[in-house]
Amino acid sequence: MSSPAPRPSTSPLASRRLVSGVSPSHSPSQARNPVSLRLYKVLGAGFEDEATKEALRTVSELYGASNAAGSKTTNVNGNAKPIAGSSEDSDELDSDEDERSDTDEDEKLSLGPYLSRQVVAPTGAAARARKNLRRDIDLKLASSSRKFLKALGEVDQKLDALQEHITSMRTQCDEAHEQLQTTNEACKSLLDQAGNLRQERDMIATQQTILNLFLSRFTLSSEEVTALTSRDVPPGKLFFTSMDKATKVREDCRVLMGVDGPTKAGLDIIAATFANLEQAYEKIFRYLVSEFQTIGRGNRDRERSVDPDANLEASPILKEAVRRLRSRPELLSEALGALSQTRQSTLLATFLDALTRGGPSGLPRPIELHAHDPLRYIGDMLAWVHQAIAAEREFMESLFGLGREGESSRRMIGSVRRFEKGKMGETEEWIGEVVDRNVGKLCGPLRVRVQQTVRSQERPILAFKIANLLHFYALTMRRTIGEDAALSQALGELSEMSYKVFFDAIEAQGRALLRDLDDSALSPPATVEEHMQTLREILSVYESSRLDDPSDTQPEEDGKAETSGGQSHFGVERILEIMINPALEVCLTAAEDKKRSRPTWDKSVFVLNCLTYLQGVLEPYPFASAEKERLDALVEERVNDLVNEHYLDILRDAGLDSAVAVLETKAPGDPLSRIEATQPNELSLALQKFSNWLSGLEVVHSPRLSRLTVQRLHSRIHQAALTRVANAYRKLCEEVRKPENKYEAASTLLGGQRPFGQIHLLNQIFGLGDEGE
Amino acid sequence: MAFNDYDADATELLETYDFLMKYIIIGEAGTGKSCLLHQFTHNSFKDHSQHTIGVEFSSRTVKLGEKKIKLQLWDTAGQERFRSVTRSYYRGAAGAILVYDITNRQSFTNLGRWLADARALASPNLVVVLVGNKSDREDDREVEWAEASRWAAENDVHFLETSSLTGDNVEAPFLLCARSILLAIESGSLDPDKAGSGVSYGDRALRRVNSSSRLSFGSLSGRRRKGSSKLRLKDYVPGTANSKCC
Ligand SMILES: Nc1nc2c(ncn2[C@@H]2O[C@H](COP(=O)(O)OP(=O)(O)OP(=O)(O)O)[C@@H](O)[C@H]2O)c(=O)[nH]1
Ligand SMILES: [Mg+2]
Repeated sequence: MSSPAPRPSTSPLASRRLVSGVSPSHSPSQARNPVSLRLYKVLGAGFEDEATKEALRTVSELYGASNAAGSKTTNVNGNAKPIAGSSEDSDELDSDEDERSDTDEDEKLSLGPYLSRQVVAPTGAAARARKNLRRDIDLKLASSSRKFLKALGEVDQKLDALQEHITSMRTQCDEAHEQLQTTNEACKSLLDQAGNLRQERDMIATQQTILNLFLSRFTLSSEEVTALTSRDVPPGKLFFTSMDKATKVREDCRVLMGVDGPTKAGLDIIAATFANLEQAYEKIFRYLVSEFQTIGRGNRDRERSVDPDANLEASPILKEAVRRLRSRPELLSEALGALSQTRQSTLLATFLDALTRGGPSGLPRPIELHAHDPLRYIGDMLAWVHQAIAAEREFMESLFGLGREGESSRRMIGSVRRFEKGKMGETEEWIGEVVDRNVGKLCGPLRVRVQQTVRSQERPILAFKIANLLHFYALTMRRTIGEDAALSQALGELSEMSYKVFFDAIEAQGRALLRDLDDSALSPPATVEEHMQTLREILSVYESSRLDDPSDTQPEEDGKAETSGGQSHFGVERILEIMINPALEVCLTAAEDKKRSRPTWDKSVFVLNCLTYLQGVLEPYPFASAEKERLDALVEERVNDLVNEHYLDILRDAGLDSAVAVLETKAPGDPLSRIEATQPNELSLALQKFSNWLSGLEVVHSPRLSRLTVQRLHSRIHQAALTRVANAYRKLCEEVRKPENKYEAASTLLGGQRPFGQIHLLNQIFGLGDEGE
Repeated sequence: MAFNDYDADATELLETYDFLMKYIIIGEAGTGKSCLLHQFTHNSFKDHSQHTIGVEFSSRTVKLGEKKIKLQLWDTAGQERFRSVTRSYYRGAAGAILVYDITNRQSFTNLGRWLADARALASPNLVVVLVGNKSDREDDREVEWAEASRWAAENDVHFLETSSLTGDNVEAPFLLCARSILLAIESGSLDPDKAGSGVSYGDRALRRVNSSSRLSFGSLSGRRRKGSSKLRLKDYVPGTANSKCC
């Protein structure tokens, strides 16, 4: 096969075209011939493309199917099947064939060799095919067209039916559409309505949230209301939070009562919360009362205790309850009243146990066991009371929330506290009042026992000590619970009473002094000494129990003590007066009587001895200075009296008495030497006696004065008397030397005897200074 | 509004206690009793302290292990003239803080009298802590630590030295005393329920009694060693070499 066509195609048609394509030997006129162009195109197209192959295959099948006998050729034909039987292709081919059916006959023939070479074994089929192809194809086409027509006819029919359906559908659709339109129209109002409704619903929902918020803000939940009002649930956390809420609601409600006047809601809410709150306060009140009644009993239910402070404690809830109720003072006050009542009876019972029975195990011993020791007895009772007060105060302070951090609790109980109404905090007032009431009932048993003890005191010193003790506690109580507190008052009264007992006792003792004065001694009577011994004790007790610290004396404090009639300088002056006066009386007035019955008895020395003794008693006490000054004045008076007496005594003893008496009494014109007692002879004798006296012991020592207890007074009085004697002698000498007194030998008269008319000599003898008088 | 105000759990620590103990503070005048107490309750030195008149009261709650103890403190006057008054307060005290001044020998030699008084009048189980105060004035010391320590041992009391001026060791006597009392309670030799013991149960302990019908001291025993070592540690802090616990 050496064909110039590179591709071996067995299709006769294709081969034909191929041949023509590759035959440039044709005349050039043929080059522009459309047929040849087509052929070229066909030939150039080749048979490789699927469409061509398919066409060829269809053609071959067309024949293969009718010539089953010539198997070989069929095979060859089959293999070289030319154009696919697409009707279009065929048509096109047909028209081409028709166009040149005659002219191309030669060409077809000229292609013969090629075709014949292709069809290796030319059979009848091929020939027939070549002859009949057109017809066959036409036939085929015709039958196909018929079938097609038929089918299309059916389709047409069906389409008509379809058309009908569609038409009816369309009408229906139109109807439906119309209906829809009307429905839509109808729905529109509904939708509008729905929209409106939805809006309304949203609005309502918002309103509801607002309302809920409003309710939760302005009303209490049922739980809260229950917590507030129920009698079964004790106050607790919920209760207090509910209260806070109710209070807050009421505050917030002021908004609702705004400028446009009260709103209904506002009024309702205020009314409701008001009722709730009132119930809550009522509930707190009931709770407090019942708690107070339990707590107030301390541990007496459990254990008989004599400790005043046993188990008093305020729980946090209790404190909170008190804090709340402070905005309802009447209720709080009533509740505290209940507390006071319980505390009163508890404290009373505990106190009585402590007094009479002691602790359950016998320890501590009952206080009354020491009733024989009045100071200890009363001291123990008062200390017990004081401790009870401290415990009550602590309890009250914690109840009212005066915590550690509060300055007031830092102040030590017992240190000074100011109790002026209005000046201390409201809390302090509450506390003070309750503490006062709680311990107030103790006054009764305390008073009875103290009075009993005090009244049975006969020894003034013990009465005085008790009085001081009571006074000390009266002051302590005043500082701790205030002046107006019942206990302060009671203690004040008791201390006053015991001072009275004491004063009565010393007065009685003083009166007893005057009864027996039956000894001739010149020293103070033993009874007076005893009496003064008592005074000494009293004064040292007084000195040591003075409450004002010596390093911290405040005049203001003193003034206060004075007005309160307690222990003070006023007090001690009264003591001194009461004690000293009878002693003085003994010494002065009574001594007078004694003197009458015993003329030789040296009253003056005795009185001075007594007075100086009393002075000595008061000496160590600076606070007794006023009284001592009174005594000093008395002593001075008596000393002067005694000086006078002593002077006269000396003049008499020394023989100068008559001469001196003349000097003082004579009429101015009479010459001294003419008067009997001072005639030169008499005078000479007197001077002689004086001279003798001067050499005696009495010049330096007076036996009488030596009976004075205070030696200092002895010499003082003696000296004073001697001075006066010297003065008298000097005056005598002066008179004698005066010419008008008409002594003939004055200097001889005077110079005959010591001291020879020389005053300085006499002063020397007397041991006096030269200055004279 | 703070709910803690009445939240029992939150405030329990502050408000309630297991035991209430009564202490007396005794000793010669001027030994610094009031200053010591002031340091203990206020954490500061009491300037210009005057002689105490009679008796003054204060209180403080302390913690020892898990136990909260409220101390009732009765500061007594040391001056002789108040002896008859102050002695009435010894009645039923559980603890006594017996104070002398290390710079004043007289205040030490008189201790016997004070101790005898306290033993005679206070609770039979009285715990006494001897305190040598003014340890800051080492230069003026008249009573040696060893001598006081010996005296304490002979008289069966605890002993330590403090300074209420500097605050040195000031808490120790009070805690030591409380610890001894707690131990006495635990050992059964002291019964808080007995009046006159100077000790009573607080609300906290009572609640426990009521709920368990029996007091448990487990925590106390567990902490005993810890507590004491803590105390001792405190006593040995530098600068207070003289203040030891015995
Ligand atoms: N240097 C020093 N001085 C102290 C100390 N403690 C107290 N003082 C001083 O000692 C003096 C007496 O102190 P107080 O506490 O009043 O004495 P007191 O024992 O309470 O005296 P009375 O109340 O009379 O029994 C005061 O001047 C204090 O300043 C201390 O630790 N060191
Ligand atoms: Mg003091």
